[in-house]
Amino acid sequence: MIYIKILNFALIVTFIFSFNVNALEYKLYGLVQPEFSIFTNGDGKHHQSKNNYSLFTKGNFISYLDERDAKITISAIARYDEKDSERRYIDFQKLKYEQYYENYTFKIGNEIIFWGVNESFNIIDIINQSNFAEDMTGTKKLGQPLLSLAYDNNYGTIDLYLMPYFIERKFPSKNGRPRLALEVDQNSITYESSSKEQKLDFALRYSMVYDDYDIGIAHFHGNNRVPQLNINPSTLKFNPHYTTLSQTSLDIQATKGAWLYKLEALSAKDGNERHLGVAGGFEYTFYGIRDSQSDLGLVIEYSFDDRNSYPFNNDSVAALRWTKNDINSTSLLAGMFIDMRGNSNRFIAEYEQRINNNVKLFIDATFNGSIDSQDFTYAFEEDSVFSIKLARYF
Amino acid sequence: MNKFLLILFFVMFVNTNLLSEDNFEKGLRIAKESYESTRGYVDSESDQLMILVDPKGNEVIREISGKTLENDDPNDGDKSIIFFNKPKDVEGTVMLSHTHVNDDDDQWLYLPALGRVKRISSSNKSGSFMGSEIAFEDFSGNDYRKYEWEFIGEEEYEGEICYKLVSIPKYKNSGYTKRIGFTDKLLRPRMIEYFDRKGELLKTLYFEDYQLYNDKIWNADTFRVVNHQNKNKTIYKWINRELNVGINKKDFEKSSLLRLAD
Repeated sequence: MIYIKILNFALIVTFIFSFNVNALEYKLYGLVQPEFSIFTNGDGKHHQSKNNYSLFTKGNFISYLDERDAKITISAIARYDEKDSERRYIDFQKLKYEQYYENYTFKIGNEIIFWGVNESFNIIDIINQSNFAEDMTGTKKLGQPLLSLAYDNNYGTIDLYLMPYFIERKFPSKNGRPRLALEVDQNSITYESSSKEQKLDFALRYSMVYDDYDIGIAHFHGNNRVPQLNINPSTLKFNPHYTTLSQTSLDIQATKGAWLYKLEALSAKDGNERHLGVAGGFEYTFYGIRDSQSDLGLVIEYSFDDRNSYPFNNDSVAALRWTKNDINSTSLLAGMFIDMRGNSNRFIAEYEQRINNNVKLFIDATFNGSIDSQDFTYAFEEDSVFSIKLARYF
Repeated sequence: MNKFLLILFFVMFVNTNLLSEDNFEKGLRIAKESYESTRGYVDSESDQLMILVDPKGNEVIREISGKTLENDDPNDGDKSIIFFNKPKDVEGTVMLSHTHVNDDDDQWLYLPALGRVKRISSSNKSGSFMGSEIAFEDFSGNDYRKYEWEFIGEEEYEGEICYKLVSIPKYKNSGYTKRIGFTDKLLRPRMIEYFDRKGELLKTLYFEDYQLYNDKIWNADTFRVVNHQNKNKTIYKWINRELNVGINKKDFEKSSLLRLAD
């Protein structure tokens, strides 16, 4: 933690210093977003409140220095939540300094790095920790402190990452909804590595574009971002344990007209055990349906993993995305997740439309259908929810 | 003497060629000359403002900025990057396109909320650009290689005698069956009527505010589009346009998207 504070402090000093030296060229923008959720299964499994208020905010500051050969980026998110203390936080998604050379980019600070091509099963994405307090599907990330060097030429790009400090996964608190069956005890974290959170993680990625193909090959070695959750019999809480993971991955997307074909595959050694994961699918878009400006996209993805314990070891998703292509950018995504092993299913819908130039409305719904008691989502079977979010941009 | 004969022969040959030119050849020649008069810009940088007007007169503003790189390859298209600024919810989004003449473009989108670069399908060149009445394919509508041409006469348009040209898209996913337009004697397109897939008049594009850039290239700094079917209007303005600015070619590659994005 001290490391992060020093790094943040150094970056802020650099930033303030640059303020005085240069006639600053900068951008500042962000959003404030009140949210309201209504749960439709009454008090649910954990006897919780039927509704919840929350306030989310994001701010971005970007400044170019040195005739655009260097850049400082600050992108911070924060949330205040009525019920869940773990959803009251600030995270520096980006707090970084970048320096550009002809074929190299050097970067230091907090960053969000995404690997992969899939819409739903982002199995190879590993640099950033997931924030489960925000979202149990793991798509919301926490900023990762790192040093990186990128080299690119006509044959592709090589990225090297050194990550000197590990960010623990955030989970909802006892009052969070949805939450896991038991509370997660963030004071009883253990690691396989003796360096614990100060273990120096590293990653290497090669990516290239060849004609209609976007290809990436990567290797990661470090603390696993996914903790094992072991029940502590004395406290009846989950104690997170982070193993050491070595993961080699491949991701490919083929873009063929209205068809997108996607594949992510990995082989990883987690602790002493090796596992294999493959996830992929396709996306097809019908353009200008019924002679209108509207498009209708179909996404089908499947995920396989040879571990019994992995939640997405035999799962699929099918979704339809309707984009009206109107002035308000109206769109609706409706999808169904099916766990083919336990025969569980879950439905999601996400509607959005702009109200005016600075305000956008989001309505999300999640309905849990029949969920197998062996499935990790069983804990939130009775947490079907409607959420309304109103983002005000500045 | 020999040289003289050769020149005479050449002049006769060229003249005969011009005389025997049919309306299709003439249409193609004018379109080609018009296109070529806009080439040699090397690269360009500009801010762009779009005003979308609905039939009730309500206005919505869009703001983007862009960079373009000319492609010397006679069989390929230009490259462009667009930075979205307004509406505010898309601020920070960046789109990179490698255009192709009669094939789908290559397009990547940087989505700031996800920190992710996505390769996207671009077979919807006929789709609306940011909810406007302008389609992606309209931005390269002056590329003669994308159409079959026919010259159908000369007519007065806004007080000037113009060539009247019919153009039929070669691209299979085009949203149009036909275009009819006026090109003036300085080879500048002045107005184009677009006919939809059913053959009905869809919209008219007016090229306005022509400026002579770098003493050689005429660019219309305003596109005004009137949709005759839904009665919407779009006014698209180029502001602070500069040609031949010396942009690094590498900026137009996927690997530079994260560098250029916020």
